[in-house]
Amino acid sequence: MLHIPAPDPFTVFGLPHSLDLDERTLEQRYLKLSRDCHTDLNRASDAVDCVAVLQRAAEINDAWKVLRDPWQRARALIELRSPGAMERNKRLDAAVLAAALELAEEVAFAGAAELPRLRERLQQALAADFVTVRAAITRGDIDDAARRWHSSHYHKKALADLEAKS
Amino acid sequence: MAYSDKVLDHYQNPRNVGSLDKNAPDVGTGIVGAPECGDVMKLQIKVDDQGRIVDAKFKTYGCGSAIASSSLATEWLKGTTVDAAAQIKNTQIVEELSLPPVKIHCSVLAEDAIKAAIEDWRKKRSAQATPPEGHA
Repeated sequence: MLHIPAPDPFTVFGLPHSLDLDERTLEQRYLKLSRDCHTDLNRASDAVDCVAVLQRAAEINDAWKVLRDPWQRARALIELRSPGAMERNKRLDAAVLAAALELAEEVAFAGAAELPRLRERLQQALAADFVTVRAAITRGDIDDAARRWHSSHYHKKALADLEAKS
Repeated sequence: MAYSDKVLDHYQNPRNVGSLDKNAPDVGTGIVGAPECGDVMKLQIKVDDQGRIVDAKFKTYGCGSAIASSSLATEWLKGTTVDAAAQIKNTQIVEELSLPPVKIHCSVLAEDAIKAAIEDWRKKRSAQATPPEGHA
């Protein structure tokens, strides 16, 4: 199960629990938090202070890793809204799995000439997946968001297979 | 991580790869997946009137252990009865292939696929046994 640490990544960054975060704001926030941590480390007077600052630095870095990636951000949001949702919704429809199997075969047997078109199709599919995940989160159907997140993993994997081929 | 010789053998020479007609009344199809690792396993059985599995095919998208687990499962399924097949446990697959703990979920997937295929076949059979309603 995905473990969301406390404080959660959004709270570490002092940002609302939202999928749509401005990338620039996010990066500036990260740089500022990191700078402050360095200043605190230089001021730390004893070992206890040092450990606390380093722990805070680790929190910031972990939160950054999650927040900077929209898919990881969505995953964290799903778990925050409904703890255990990712684990509960791992069982996918046979139709989704059958499509994943067909896609994997298509990538495996694709010739070099077909790869660019296939890559574009997979990228579009992933973008469409993200839209449906966002829509499900927005309407509060977190279980559906989790299922769609899991389904999208097959598009990500197919794309990774394709990149490994070319 | 080192694969066992049996895993490598099934991986390099998978048995019974392919598909059966999923719409045929005597064919049961099970398709299961583990989204965290992106594995998908499709396992199909063809069953005769006596409840004996006369053919089994699989297609697996996943790691060597997932392929080996489903390949081995089809070998065990062919010639056995549906009732005996329903008793196959993932632990038997783990033992036969010497799967390490991190790969146990592959054998679980294979057991799930067998159960799903049997369920699909049973559903089809009971649908045939009961005539459609509404024609009084």
